Amino acid sequence: MLKLNLKDTKAIGKVMIAAILIVIIAIAGVASYYLYTTQGPKIKDTLIMGTTDSVESCLDPAEAYDFFGFEIIQSLGSPLVEYEAGSTGSMEDIIPALATSWEPSADGLVWTFNLRQGVMFDSSREFTAEDVKYTFDRGIGIADEDGAFVGVGIGDIIDSVTVVSDYVVRFNLKIPFAAFLSLMAFQACYIVDPTYAPMSGASWSIDDIVSYADGDARASNPMGLGPYTLKSWTRVAGKDTKMELEANPLYWNAAAGYPKSKNIVIQFYADSPGLALAMTAGDVDVAFRQLATNDIATMKTNSNLKVWEGTGAFIQYLCLQQDYAPFNDPTVRGAVAAAIDRTALVETVFQGQAQELYSMIPAGMFGHTDAFESYESPNYDLTRELLSYVGYNANNKLEFTLWYETSGHYPQSAQQALMLKEALEESGVISVTLEGRDWAAYRTARQQEIMQAYIMGWYPDYIDPDDYIFPFVHSVGGSWIHHNYASAQMDQLVESARGTTNTAERESLYEDIQDLMVDEVPIIPLYQGGAYAVSKPSVKGIFLDITQNWRHWLVYIEG
Amino acid sequence: MTLRTYIISRILLTIPMIFILLTTVFVIMRVLPGDPVLLHFEKIENPEAMEAMRIRLGLDKPLLFQYFDYIIGLFRGDLGKSMQDYSSVSQQIFSAFPATLELAICSMLIAILIGLFLGVESSKAYNTPKDHIIRVFGIVTYAIPVFFLGMVFQMIFGVGLHWLPVGGRIYQGLEPVGLVVGDFQLSTGLYSIDSILEGNVVKFVTALKYLLLPSLTLGLVLCGIFIRLTRSNMFETLRLDFVTAAKARGLNESTVTYGYALRNAFLPVITMMGLQFALLLGGAVLTETTFSWPGLGRYLVDRINFRDYTAIQGVVVVFGIFVAIVSLAVDLLYAYLDPRIRL
Repeated sequence: MLKLNLKDTKAIGKVMIAAILIVIIAIAGVASYYLYTTQGPKIKDTLIMGTTDSVESCLDPAEAYDFFGFEIIQSLGSPLVEYEAGSTGSMEDIIPALATSWEPSADGLVWTFNLRQGVMFDSSREFTAEDVKYTFDRGIGIADEDGAFVGVGIGDIIDSVTVVSDYVVRFNLKIPFAAFLSLMAFQACYIVDPTYAPMSGASWSIDDIVSYADGDARASNPMGLGPYTLKSWTRVAGKDTKMELEANPLYWNAAAGYPKSKNIVIQFYADSPGLALAMTAGDVDVAFRQLATNDIATMKTNSNLKVWEGTGAFIQYLCLQQDYAPFNDPTVRGAVAAAIDRTALVETVFQGQAQELYSMIPAGMFGHTDAFESYESPNYDLTRELLSYVGYNANNKLEFTLWYETSGHYPQSAQQALMLKEALEESGVISVTLEGRDWAAYRTARQQEIMQAYIMGWYPDYIDPDDYIFPFVHSVGGSWIHHNYASAQMDQLVESARGTTNTAERESLYEDIQDLMVDEVPIIPLYQGGAYAVSKPSVKGIFLDITQNWRHWLVYIEG
Repeated sequence: MTLRTYIISRILLTIPMIFILLTTVFVIMRVLPGDPVLLHFEKIENPEAMEAMRIRLGLDKPLLFQYFDYIIGLFRGDLGKSMQDYSSVSQQIFSAFPATLELAICSMLIAILIGLFLGVESSKAYNTPKDHIIRVFGIVTYAIPVFFLGMVFQMIFGVGLHWLPVGGRIYQGLEPVGLVVGDFQLSTGLYSIDSILEGNVVKFVTALKYLLLPSLTLGLVLCGIFIRLTRSNMFETLRLDFVTAAKARGLNESTVTYGYALRNAFLPVITMMGLQFALLLGGAVLTETTFSWPGLGRYLVDRINFRDYTAIQGVVVVFGIFVAIVSLAVDLLYAYLDPRIRL
């Protein structure tokens, strides 16, 4: 046993040193435990993202109507409600953002939202119900034809917004609208900062849209309240060349550790090969949109990269002109539906990076059924049988022109058209001529209704089956597509489905709608695109769910 | 004809050239199917709103009025507003032009340097394996598609060796500001020059790193014609009496070749430089896309897709003026180098 002689200074010195060491080790241990448990792995301050996208017009939700514009608006602003990351698009996945709770009236015509308190635009201005009213009065008042307020018809849904108190706001609707919460999570409905989105005249006009201001990022951005602020934004000749996002310390969810990355730098590339090369060379940490099928396939084989796969909400479908023969006859349309080889389309053209689609409502979304599977994919016997009823056979083939777009508006359009032609002609009773046009000419041809059969594509606005049904098979909602399908029975079903808030009832109505679509073949679903991002393996927090939202505030790089 | 009247007549001749170009583009764009108004209405095609948009874009007036409106605007230096995003076309062109100019100058320099050097070497080694190799090199680079060569370089120098970035114009945050003294700022928009004016070596090196691959790509594609031209001219010049005389006086080989012979063989190369400039701008359209270079070429392609009449007309006018200025400059240089022109 060690005996300590208090007069032995050497011994005392040794004990003191030992004690100090123990204390240091203990402090270090506690500190490292504390750091480990509270901070987790170290996150790099700056994340570099590469894209081929560019803001199409501006970052004002009254005008912006493009994927990338929405992506940035989502980072610079906040909505009343939002979809949880990893959502399947169900109503249950809608979570509070600037609103903490909400309640629809029994008739579905009034929605009341209780707002989060203490959310600040800046050090002196608090977010209140007035700002919500301001945002919607503004968007509906400006009524820009280029914008989503007009495109989605928000002004046809919302009648007025009433401020009940500082923290309670009420929406009075013109029609009962079941997808109202989805609409509130839509980027056009993100709250603007009135200081940076002022009214210039006596009433709202398109002159009030906040456009890009060279050299002044703050003046180019009407948003506030988001996880990020816009540190810099440079455009050259109408295309983005530089964009930096910086964490907003006043973000309402900052205390929870969001955004994860303090700075996001966005690098812009002209096309998919350029972006893929930059990702492979390590110039960017993550690449998102638009990567071509081939580039994704190549990067999948690269062990230094991680390919993220998710649920796509983009769909493509075949429109048939029903104003004149031969497609004014549902039997002929059915024969074509039975001669579509979706497997070949998905496996050959998209190398498995897409999914066969048997309904206009994409798989993975509430209300979806594989209704068109009854036509099989393909069933040439059925095609021959149906066409024989209307006089077509191997000696008298059904002849029509299939149109497709050639300027890259849709992915691999020419290959798709060629694949469809081959599949249709395989029936032996159909003869197809292909005709390609660039997007501008294609749009004109669509409006002129000169295309017999044409391939179109759709990105959703709000994540609800209504957004995949109303714009296609309702006689008014679908007028933009010019295929001239109109059915009183269908209109009634669609209006009932968008009018009820009863989930079970809606589901049953959407099933009826899809069954009716199989009978009448107003439109033929083809495939559902996948969602892909590529990153360095150390990048975390990417969610590619059906909402198609890119949540910058969740993405980070460990390092 | 004095040099001054020559210059004035050249400038005056440029005006009808631009007019013909502009009129052709004006008519072709409107003959092409596709309507800029329709592209603003993706889903709701409200006829009244579409008519309002037509008025807003000035497309409601008769075609002849539109044409004269545009020409009158042009004389005032106004290129109009974009039919896609309503921004000022002059401003957009002004923002993209320096990038294209920098790429064009650098590519032309590379093309001439490689062209002259290999051309001279080829002519000196006439009909030897070295000559054949250089000639094949010239033909191959001339025939190779510019985007393919660009992608090969990206694969080698960007992805493989990690020496150079595969795209873009500069690393974000390193944009040079040019010369700044108090309130005075001198900026050319050419990043390589601006970084020198700023005195920032890091930015200069970075700017060059981004510039190198696109300009090398475009330069190599253009150098073939210079190789062939230099080779045939030098071949003849090297056999002229004055070269023999220079050699007989004991001047060394390189002084004779580069100092005496090349200067004489250089004149057709200068002419070709002017002619190649139009081709260079065409090549820049593809190079800019391959290397995500934010210049006028990309802007033009983008706006054709939108049937943005005003923007397309604007770019064509600027390209036309650009080519006219360059060919004028080339003629002046020709006059300077060849005293016979001044007589």
